Amino acid sequence: MLEINNLSISYGAHLALDGAALFAAQGETVAILGANGAGKSSLLKSLTGMVAPQEGSSAKLFGEELVGRPAHEIVERGVIAVPEGRGVFGEMSVEENLLLGANPLRARKGEQARRDEVFDLFPRLAERKSQLVRTMSGGEQQMVAIGRALMSRPDLLLLDEPSLGLAPIVIGQLFDALAQIKSQGLTILIVEQNVRASLQLADRGYLIEAGRITGSGTAEDLKSDDAVQHAFLGGASAQGAS
Amino acid sequence: MLLTTLMIGLVLGGTYALVALGLSMQYGIARIMNLAHGEFMIAAAFCAYVLFNGAGLPPLVTLLIALPLGYGLSWLVYSVMMHPLVKRAPNRGQLEADSILATFGLLFILQGIMLLVFGSDFTSYSYLNHPINLWGTNIAANRLVAFIVSLTLGLGLYVLITRTRWGATLRAVALSPASAPLVGIQVDKVARQAFAIGGSLAAGGGVLVSMFVTFSAAGGVVFTMKALIVVIMGGTGNLMGAIIAGLALGIIETFVTSYIDPGLSLASVYILFIIVLLWRPQGLFGTARS
Repeated sequence: MLEINNLSISYGAHLALDGAALFAAQGETVAILGANGAGKSSLLKSLTGMVAPQEGSSAKLFGEELVGRPAHEIVERGVIAVPEGRGVFGEMSVEENLLLGANPLRARKGEQARRDEVFDLFPRLAERKSQLVRTMSGGEQQMVAIGRALMSRPDLLLLDEPSLGLAPIVIGQLFDALAQIKSQGLTILIVEQNVRASLQLADRGYLIEAGRITGSGTAEDLKSDDAVQHAFLGGASAQGAS
Repeated sequence: MLLTTLMIGLVLGGTYALVALGLSMQYGIARIMNLAHGEFMIAAAFCAYVLFNGAGLPPLVTLLIALPLGYGLSWLVYSVMMHPLVKRAPNRGQLEADSILATFGLLFILQGIMLLVFGSDFTSYSYLNHPINLWGTNIAANRLVAFIVSLTLGLGLYVLITRTRWGATLRAVALSPASAPLVGIQVDKVARQAFAIGGSLAAGGGVLVSMFVTFSAAGGVVFTMKALIVVIMGGTGNLMGAIIAGLALGIIETFVTSYIDPGLSLASVYILFIIVLLWRPQGLFGTARS
């Protein structure tokens, strides 16, 4: 359902991503692994229209080109992102965040039912409907961010470092919830530094080092791969970090 | 006497609140400090005057024309003048500086046109100028009507902004412009809408004020300054705060005019403003943000 070809992104002279190619099949969870600054977040940002990739880049969703479209149109086509740092509306309540999640026109149908699903998935949010999101814990804010994303009735969920800054026990709960979302058939592209947890969740994965995709395989294979060990022992971060 | 002063103050404050709401929409959501806000008001006041004297059109009918017209013209101003500034501004501070300079220029253009057409004399007309007895005090019917319409418009907008999804998108842009695109909100479109609504309220406020106040082509800047004070007193981006602060400002101004000296009314407003800035810079109803 997602097909990325020759995706390159540069910030000035710095090439953040160099001709990346990857795909995700319907219902698949794909992990993108790499050290800090390897280009993972840039890849996700280009998919959401927040960063413009270079000429000749292509990212097709159900065969239709996403590159070059404005951010709101991409959301309307079913691609939703939970960015690093979550991007929640901190000065608004949980309920209002979910209301805004269903802002895209595609999300209006069945909004009420989806809200119930989100509350089933995260009962904590149901208890705290009217609380200001800013005053919630990091884990709860991440629930709001994911809940808000689900409200948009997405076909593809992009997750950028969802476990960042969370306590291990909260990370466990978070990945349990993600596994539940996955089991409902949503296609997920996840960027994570928590390799073990993300490979546990994912079906397949890609390795990014210094802006290039250097490997790929099923989650099972990657878990035992030497290159994965190498990438997360710091080999790539020394040259790739900016 | 006390009750009369209070009521006249409240009534004046109602229109202040409406005009300040307009400025708050423009500044809080579109991030543009529109110094020509008062000129939009005065232009609408002259419209009401011309249509009333020339065509016998009651100001309340003019209001129905002024609201959409103010929206449309402000939309145009945003598209032609503000949008290029918004696009090139690297950050919010730069946009504020640029928009202040640009709208300062717009102020003089609009004022110049009005001076050319209407001259610099004070203007007024008499509409619904008969007293109505309310709880033992007499108040002019035009003031009462202006108050009711102002408050209806202001509270109506408040309800739309706080209770609807559309309103939530506006608040999302005001509070977290960087996150708004994540849920498919077009920040630029929302900013344009907010700026246009602000202009619409200025025009509406101008028509309402013209029913009971004498105005002149050069008088816009005082309204802009008062609106600015109300917005800051109420807490930037806090619409209910602006409504309450507007009413308070009207009451204070009227009390100073009645009991101390009419010449001091504007000075009293500024003294109050300075006290608020020193004591609660986030505004009376704003919350301090970390």
